[in-house]
Amino acid sequence: MHENDQNRQDARSAGDRLVAGHVSEDPFAAAFKATRMPMIVTDPSQADNPIIFCNAAFLKLTGYGDDEVIGRNCRFLQGPETDQDTVAKIRDNIAAGQDVAVDILNYRKDGSTFWNAVFISPVRDETDKIIYFFASQLDFTTVKSREADLASARHQAEAEVAKHTANLRAALDARSLLVHEVDHRVKNNLLTMASIVKMQARVTKDERQKQTLMSVLNRIEALSTVQRKLFTLDDVSKFDMSEFTRELVTDLVDATGRKDIRLSLDLAPLLVPAVKATPLSLIVNELVGDAVRRGLNDGGGDIHVVVKRLNGHFLIRVEDTSEPVEPDSESVELGRMLLEASTLQLGAEIERKRDGSKTIVDVVLLVGDHQENTH
Amino acid sequence: MKVMIVEDEMLLAMELESEVEMAGHVVTGLAMSSAQARQQIGSSKPDFAFVDIHLMDGPTGIDVGRELAASGIPYVFVSGNIKKIPDDFAGALGAIEKPYTMNGMKNALAYVSALIEGDDSGSPPASLVLADDANAGRRPA
Repeated sequence: MHENDQNRQDARSAGDRLVAGHVSEDPFAAAFKATRMPMIVTDPSQADNPIIFCNAAFLKLTGYGDDEVIGRNCRFLQGPETDQDTVAKIRDNIAAGQDVAVDILNYRKDGSTFWNAVFISPVRDETDKIIYFFASQLDFTTVKSREADLASARHQAEAEVAKHTANLRAALDARSLLVHEVDHRVKNNLLTMASIVKMQARVTKDERQKQTLMSVLNRIEALSTVQRKLFTLDDVSKFDMSEFTRELVTDLVDATGRKDIRLSLDLAPLLVPAVKATPLSLIVNELVGDAVRRGLNDGGGDIHVVVKRLNGHFLIRVEDTSEPVEPDSESVELGRMLLEASTLQLGAEIERKRDGSKTIVDVVLLVGDHQENTH
Repeated sequence: MKVMIVEDEMLLAMELESEVEMAGHVVTGLAMSSAQARQQIGSSKPDFAFVDIHLMDGPTGIDVGRELAASGIPYVFVSGNIKKIPDDFAGALGAIEKPYTMNGMKNALAYVSALIEGDDSGSPPASLVLADDANAGRRPA
């Protein structure tokens, strides 16, 4: 106890000497005492480097009285939550006689904490010997808590985003699964419908009825071919009309089994909105089917199919040269109805030209980029 | 030739059976699951098989295909989603995409049966996606 008192007395005397060195008019001393920034001076020549002077702002910040501060090492401001690495950093820099600036959690007399931006700097005499340490404090608790609020708000927002992203991903997965499932069922149902018609045709004795069933089968199969070609492009909202035409026409001509039908195709890659796939495909199917029924199937001939863009229009042309035969009137009637419905559906125009044994049918559809992008 | 049909939709399988028989072939059996298919591969020794990918016991058609390939039996996949076929095509000659047309199936069958009988002069029909072409298409340019 006695020794402790002595130390305190020594510290106070050192502080008094420091103050006595400055007359009351000294503006630096006055500024030190009056500034709102908490400041202290310690004396490293005494045991445990005690505080020998502190200003009023320091007492106000820490809640201690002058008597409780002078003669003590600064570590009385530390507490259980104070980071020991930061304390070690201060200690090492002081031992090395260097400036140090750190953020440290300190404790007031009443036990409450504050975030302290401490700056400590050695003060040297003419011989470069360290005679004092000067330290300033800055309470930035409000800044720190605002940072914490911001960080916590950011974490919350990130958690929300992560949650929504997970929900969206799950919804997307469910949607993909559903689309695949529906696509699979549509394909199976189309094939089942076709199979039922084929079964009926197989057991039907009447040639005429059989022909009617095959005519129905042909249209169902045109839709099957559409369904097979849907969703095969990267952009699932588009349908490749040329690819469809190539397959459908080749299939129809192969089916005749005639080697004397010469097929030529002029197909430019042409993507159309998927919603237009069915009427467009029925048009191609009817035009080619009609050419086959009017003579190709009976005596062979030439057939030339064009699918391309022409001056912003979309052109389907089927040109055939064959020895004409009288087609089945019911078949012609169904073909005419399907063609009419499909062209009306699309707002397309149809033009038919006959020139001897040659027939040219043009279907022209306005498909500006604007229209193509509507779906 | 002797043909096995591996397909879990009985109505489609029966219709395909009629089609195959009308083309002058013999159907050795209809299998709806991979177990039935395995049993028939062993007992009936088909010359050729149509194999759907999705069977009663799941997407096991690929495994059935590999076993056919291992037994030296040529086959084609018949599926609504040919994108599910592995890159090596599991040893299949090719694939016919559902819903196939009657003519598409006839043409594919005629091409394949000629091929199996040693006649490779025909050109493959549009309805048959050949394994080689599919793989060439899959390779990055």
